Amino acid sequence: MDLELSDEQVWIEESLGTLLDREWPPAQDAWQAGAPERTRLWESLVEFGLLSGAGSDLGAIELCLAARAVGAHLASVPLLGGVGVRYALAPFAAELPAAFGAILESDSRVSIALLEPGGSWSVSSTHATVESNRLTGSKAAVEHAADVDYLAVVTLADGEPGLALVRTGTKGLELAPQPVLDESVPLSRATFVEAEAEALVDRELAETIIERLIAVGGLLAAAEAVGAGAGIFERARRYASERRQFGRTIGSNQALRHLMADLHVRQASGWSTTLFAAATLDDRMSGARETVSVAKAYVSRAAREVAHGSMQVFGGIAFTEEHPAHRFLRRIIAREQQFGDAVHHERELGRSLARAATRERVAV
Amino acid sequence: MQLAETASERVLADEVRAFLSRARLRSEDLPRELDDRMVALRSWQAACYEAGFVGRAWPSEFGGGGRPPAEQIIVDQELAAAGAPEFVNVVGLDVLGPSLLRFGTDDQRRRYIPPILRAEEIWCQGFSEPEAGSDLASLRTLAVQDGDTYVINGQKTWVSWGQYATFCGLLARTDDSVPRHRGISMLLVDMSSPGVEVRPMTQITGHAEFSELFLDDVAVPRANLLGQLGDGWKIAMHTLGHERGTAALPRQVKLRTWLDRAVSVAAHRELDGRRVLEDPEAQTALARALIGVEVLRHHAYRTVGEFLSGGAVGPESSSVKLLMAEAEQRLAATVLDVLGPTLLSGAPDETAENDFWYETYLYSRAASVYGGARQIQRDIIADRILSLPKE
Repeated sequence: MDLELSDEQVWIEESLGTLLDREWPPAQDAWQAGAPERTRLWESLVEFGLLSGAGSDLGAIELCLAARAVGAHLASVPLLGGVGVRYALAPFAAELPAAFGAILESDSRVSIALLEPGGSWSVSSTHATVESNRLTGSKAAVEHAADVDYLAVVTLADGEPGLALVRTGTKGLELAPQPVLDESVPLSRATFVEAEAEALVDRELAETIIERLIAVGGLLAAAEAVGAGAGIFERARRYASERRQFGRTIGSNQALRHLMADLHVRQASGWSTTLFAAATLDDRMSGARETVSVAKAYVSRAAREVAHGSMQVFGGIAFTEEHPAHRFLRRIIAREQQFGDAVHHERELGRSLARAATRERVAV
Repeated sequence: MQLAETASERVLADEVRAFLSRARLRSEDLPRELDDRMVALRSWQAACYEAGFVGRAWPSEFGGGGRPPAEQIIVDQELAAAGAPEFVNVVGLDVLGPSLLRFGTDDQRRRYIPPILRAEEIWCQGFSEPEAGSDLASLRTLAVQDGDTYVINGQKTWVSWGQYATFCGLLARTDDSVPRHRGISMLLVDMSSPGVEVRPMTQITGHAEFSELFLDDVAVPRANLLGQLGDGWKIAMHTLGHERGTAALPRQVKLRTWLDRAVSVAAHRELDGRRVLEDPEAQTALARALIGVEVLRHHAYRTVGEFLSGGAVGPESSSVKLLMAEAEQRLAATVLDVLGPTLLSGAPDETAENDFWYETYLYSRAASVYGGARQIQRDIIADRILSLPKE
């Protein structure tokens, strides 16, 4: 049991912070960044080694460090798909079909297509199917779809989940931009009509990989939300130490001191549970899925609370468009929604508690 | 960061489990009557000490095990998971012992540490006073030097296990000419000294686990000063930080066993012909309680990392304390919500189970008060972590 970041992990954390400071505009201007900035940042992250696939020693912890830095800088890159898909595939490199193996060896950008119109984040609500390497179905909220090379599409046939890779630009795939709360994370609807796809046919393997993909995707979303939470909270903390009203610094009022102490607890513990869940994934421990649900559910509520509390500290200024508070809030909500929000994961956990108790009762 | 147990940690956990299967003692098997309960608890701690499970990380020259702190954490977690009773000398082990080890002289450590470990001498702490609660530094109990002794006069309150204690770690004012935090010293008071009077106080749970302590011209030898004169505040803060940070680890295991117990009860009880646990709202409420307990564990693990590698427990222990109170109170209140009318309409043989949950609920209300109230923890975070301006 060793619960501290290693020296190397600390180095990664610091280097990524420096890289983002250099390659990405300051958070308050980040919303103006366009495709050129996004591409440049992506290439820098690739050069940094964030994508190294098979045989990589980048675990979920390191990837969460990257996602947190991305969130704190309000950076915009297809990180969840790009690193999430590789993380899910890497341990099974030897068993994968060629196209999947090729992803691990390349710098390709990938997005995950899971959610469907009218559906929830449960794999069981998937309708997309693959037959003879042709994919048919619809997906919603596919991130950065216009910027990526591949979509990793979750499918379901006869109750058996599968994973398919579709090249963007393939005939039979149509992408339509979706209205979004956070403009820096563009979302699209994707419609597939017999689009050419490479499918992972081994059902057991597909199930394992999808579970791992959804887990790491949710964790990276949580880590990004923690980063965005840190961004807004640190600004609020500084503001509270400078802004004066009633002849005193507002941060000296106990009402605000206690509010901010509570926000600190949410921030710090949100990061703890994210890292802990990442370690359970890396160590492939039993119950990793539940631990990820704990982290995603907790951070979803915690980051929102941090954003709300920080905006309260700022007062009216945080309600203006020019102030960055709402940019952080938007990113936090966007990440809360991805791969299941608090309610989704709380229900999942509740059902899992009930299932375990029922099994126990039957056993008795 | 590595969560999987190492081979040696696994061996130790197995060792504890094997010990527990031989010497099985669960909290609910203890005698109800408090005096009998104390006897059983003392011999339980002594047996655990003989097995190497008490003070495992304390220096071996004073009777400890001399092992890495992580081992004690593994032991505490295994004991808590099995529902074993907490060590009765909790104040000695969590509060005064660590202070003696850090600030005591060798003579003091040789004299006091081994009997703490074996529960031969129970310790209590005399910190709070009727007029000095959260504002601990305003304490008025006076210790006046008279030759080779200090003469103490004053009153203490919330003295856990005071009526069973052999010694008390007592904060008293030894100098009122300096700023108030610096005029406080820590004295080790023999509870059998003339002038010491203990009056047990009954808690809202109906038990009398704490006392009031009255000191009337109590003479304490100068050799019983812990640390330097005026070090009392520093020692108390060190001690409380220690208590807040590390006590969370066994506590979260206990909370988890309670959660599992609540789930199991909800799976067995019926309400309007349906198992309570089949209600999706009950499932979600229990899931939220579970999240509180799990996040407490994750945060405590991360923040004690520094402590495990030999450092001090920092102000982040206040975050752990806040999460601990939140998790415990949410869990206890959730069980009342989930079991709902079954607490009133259930079969007579469910009374003992209901009593357990009522007591757990009542006890949970103390979690945001003892060891420094929730508001004090927030002030510590605001000052020492967030560096916010003071009023």
